[in-house]
Amino acid sequence: MEVRNSVGTPPPTSSKQVKTSPTPVDTNSVIQRLQKELMSLMMSGGDLGVSAFPESENIFSWVGTIEGGRGTPYEGLSYKLSLRFPLDYPFKPPQVKFETMCFHPNVDQYGNICLDILQDKWSSAYDCRTVLLSIQSLLGEPNTDSPLNSYAASLWSNQEDYKKMVQKQVVDGDPFES
Amino acid sequence: MTMVTQQASSNYYNLGILDSITDDSIEDILDSWTGFCNTTESLLKDKGDLSVGSEFISHVHILCENRLSSLVQDHFFKALEETFEKNGRSKFWHHFDDFRDVSISELNESHKDWVQQVLCKALEDICLEKQYQEKCLLILVHALQSYKEGISKGKYNSDAERVALFSRYRLMVSSVLMTTLPRHFPEILRFYFKERLEELSDMISGNSDDNDEFQAKDNMDIDERTKLSPEVSEMDIGETYNGRKISENNKLVKNIGKVVRDLRSLGFMSMAEDAYASAIFLLLKTKVNDLAGDDYRTSVLWSIKEWIWAVPLQFLYALLAYLGDSVSYDSPSSGLKSPLASHPTSYYPGIDIPSEGLVRWQLRLEYFAYETLQDLRIAKLFEIIVDYPDSSPAIDDLKKCLQYSGQHSKLVDSFISSLRYRLLTAGASTNDILHQYVSTIKALRIIDPTGVFLEAVGEPIRDYLKGRKDTMKCIVTMLTDGPGGNPNGPGNTGDSLLEELNRDEENQEDDVCDDDFNSDDRHAWMNAERWEPDPVEADPLKGSRNRRKFDILGMIVGVIGSKEQLVNEYRVMLAEKLLNKSDYDIDSEIRTLELLKIHFGESSMQKCEIMLNDLINSKRINTNIKASISDVSQKGSDLGETGVSLDLLDATIISSNFWPPVQDESINIPETVDQLLSDYAKRFYEIKTPRKLLWKKNLGTVKLELQFGDRAAQFTVTPVHAAIIMNFQDQTRWISKDLAAAIGVPVDVLNRRINFWISKGIIAESVGAESDNHMFDLVDAMVDSSRNGVNNASCEDLAADEEGETSVASLEEQLLQEMTVYEKYIMGMLTNFGSMSLDRIHNTLKMFCSADPVYDKSLQQLQSFLSGLLSEEKLELRDGMYYLKREYSYLSLRSYHCPHLKFNKVVQSTYLIGNIDETSGYGNDSFVLTHYLCLMP
Repeated sequence: MEVRNSVGTPPPTSSKQVKTSPTPVDTNSVIQRLQKELMSLMMSGGDLGVSAFPESENIFSWVGTIEGGRGTPYEGLSYKLSLRFPLDYPFKPPQVKFETMCFHPNVDQYGNICLDILQDKWSSAYDCRTVLLSIQSLLGEPNTDSPLNSYAASLWSNQEDYKKMVQKQVVDGDPFES
Repeated sequence: MTMVTQQASSNYYNLGILDSITDDSIEDILDSWTGFCNTTESLLKDKGDLSVGSEFISHVHILCENRLSSLVQDHFFKALEETFEKNGRSKFWHHFDDFRDVSISELNESHKDWVQQVLCKALEDICLEKQYQEKCLLILVHALQSYKEGISKGKYNSDAERVALFSRYRLMVSSVLMTTLPRHFPEILRFYFKERLEELSDMISGNSDDNDEFQAKDNMDIDERTKLSPEVSEMDIGETYNGRKISENNKLVKNIGKVVRDLRSLGFMSMAEDAYASAIFLLLKTKVNDLAGDDYRTSVLWSIKEWIWAVPLQFLYALLAYLGDSVSYDSPSSGLKSPLASHPTSYYPGIDIPSEGLVRWQLRLEYFAYETLQDLRIAKLFEIIVDYPDSSPAIDDLKKCLQYSGQHSKLVDSFISSLRYRLLTAGASTNDILHQYVSTIKALRIIDPTGVFLEAVGEPIRDYLKGRKDTMKCIVTMLTDGPGGNPNGPGNTGDSLLEELNRDEENQEDDVCDDDFNSDDRHAWMNAERWEPDPVEADPLKGSRNRRKFDILGMIVGVIGSKEQLVNEYRVMLAEKLLNKSDYDIDSEIRTLELLKIHFGESSMQKCEIMLNDLINSKRINTNIKASISDVSQKGSDLGETGVSLDLLDATIISSNFWPPVQDESINIPETVDQLLSDYAKRFYEIKTPRKLLWKKNLGTVKLELQFGDRAAQFTVTPVHAAIIMNFQDQTRWISKDLAAAIGVPVDVLNRRINFWISKGIIAESVGAESDNHMFDLVDAMVDSSRNGVNNASCEDLAADEEGETSVASLEEQLLQEMTVYEKYIMGMLTNFGSMSLDRIHNTLKMFCSADPVYDKSLQQLQSFLSGLLSEEKLELRDGMYYLKREYSYLSLRSYHCPHLKFNKVVQSTYLIGNIDETSGYGNDSFVLTHYLCLMP
């Protein structure tokens, strides 16, 4: 975290932008909405295997965690995500990316996710929790028709090999701790 | 020839004289010189022959006529020195040769007389020798004088020369002795004086033993006397010791005086004084130790002073009188008069006019006594404070000593270290520490009214107490448990704190006067006059003395941090107490509350007041309801059917908003009772519409009587216990699962609660078919009668106590409940961040829990909560970072934390992948690897 903060764009800049934006009242309501989402996520999320929390004092940038669903190749694994909420949230979807390597037909090598509700099918009725749950279920039910990772898509039919591949990639991500 | 040269050299400045010297006169001079030398020799050497005196004088005259007087003196002194070396010095030291190998520590009683004899003998010998030599010197002086008188025809002032010659002689004697002083001599002197003084002291105390009446009176009067004004008591002392005056003619004093005088005459003045001073100090020290000892119940300062006046000062007085009181240090410093020198004569019992030397001695001795006593008391201060109210005389003594010596910092340092070592340890109970703290405050308040040292001493105690969890509870118990509290043990602490409450009440009235002293000029003036600067040790940062008040409660509250916390804790305890009451008698609580209100203000105690009011109202409503029921039953109600009438029921009705959260446990109580309760509630509603009663069925007390055939036993128990036993009325055997269901409590609770009846021998437990299902049987007729006897005695025990069950959620439980909301947040954070420091968790909570339950806990509260999670194994703590107790979340986190390190990791991971390959025979690894390698910048 610390590294990220010092190297990447510092959060104060973005919060400044927030302040200088023409609709400060709206920003406040966005913050309030995010706080509410955080609250409901905290109260229910842990049991579902999804979780997220604001990364630093900037509530527009969250860190998410998803545990692989039961009975899927991802069972027993957990993945980190980053969530960036736009200033006009919830009218625009958040930008969600995998931060850990994820071997999945709909996730590319940069962690970008191809999920309809994060793009054209976004609705302001969704919230952080539903987004995370959708991604969690996407892990178990990939859309192999429009893959970002075609190798993963081709391997999907062979569940056993697929699972080994998934596991291996996690080992890749954390070689130190094995 | 030598003489001529000498003569020449001695008169070389007047060479003209040499011309006038004729051969005849040279002849004369030589003759008389030889004669002078011979007579000198016969005068001094060997046995000494004074008969040559006249011859000696004439020779001296002739030599003086030839202006050789200085040569005469030099020669004479040289001869004196040689003789003294031979006859005096070597013999004198020879006396003490036997002591050379005996160190002072080995000198004991058996040496006592020996030392005395040897010393006296040696001194006698050498003084005889010296006296003789002085006589010889006197002859020389006479010779010189008579010559000079002849010249100046009687107008010559002889004294100056005589004094000069004698001082030269004394110098010679002392330098001869000093240069050859053996090492052990001062020790011998010290030993001698010590023994003599002890003898003297014994003699004086022996005198007082004859005076038994006096002694008894003394002891009785000690306390009284300390309270008297100094003048009065001094008069008293004067009378007391008049009869024991040591006259200067006392044999022992004479002996010592002689020794001192001899020593002085030999030039051992300072050494002698050192010796007897150190002997006196040693004696004084022993005396102080004897008197003070480990008894703190009496003031010893006065008896020490008495002793100083009685023994050492009397002795010194006698000694100085014997020596003629012409002590050299008396004269030069007389301009510097001690303020005490002008004290009335009665100050020195039996001594008419105190000399300045004596006053100095007195000051020295008293200072020494103060210091000794102070050191003694400071070393034992911890014990003294433990016995505080009893040991206040010792505290008073210490205070006086410190006023004299001003070594307060010594006290602070030593006391703090003994506190650290003896009190602030894990083994000490919080109650004891608090007790000691209160005693310390009280004791130091006496010693140092400014409170500066108390601050220094109190700080470590406060800091330590802050780290203890039960501190607050103990404090509140001390506050509330008045005389009714635990009679044995440190129960009186509670009393003292209650007393403090009372005392404060009075004080605050005084404070009011203090605060507006502007309206009272006289008062202001008095205040101003009483002003004293803070002690040097005062920390200017901590405010002036005006702000430093000796408010024990305030200091105790300071330990807790805020009075709100104290009030909260008190509220919980009060609630517990009130809920456990089976009558409505709350007089003592009201009293305590009133006192607390005075101290903490009405508003902060408001909730507590409402609680008490609830109880008063309960009493009234209870009677009202019962009155209404008796009306109804007169109308022919069918209450008799149930066999239980409302008369048996007393309710405590509380306004739950103002009470601390009350434990809520669901429980099925027997139907008849349940019916009774709803009946009661109904009547309450009739009287107090629109209010309704909500029963807390798990709380309260039940008095029940169990009948077994011919005999009955009475119990006072909690509703749960009652419910359990009631179920055995119809069915004598229960399986734990069924019983739990019938009562409506979890099985584990049941198993815990039923132990009460098992321990009373009323229910027997046996393991049922399933291992987790126990069987409970009613023991018929309570067969074991011997056990019953015991039971009967203890039947009145309130069963609630023995299980440590409380009706009110304690503060910790309340905190825990509030914190569980944040637990989810904390888990959420840690799921996403992996590890976080305490500070970061705290700050994050503050930042994002601004919504409904606003996060308002302190860092300490959070920490204690987290340590609870640690012990529940939900979290783990490594290097000051908290982690979730789930390995994989931690693992995945590492990679998240340092994304730019991934490149390295991937390269390193080839080894691992290779490993897996070997075991699984899985292909395509190289692809994955390169894939990643390309990905990384």
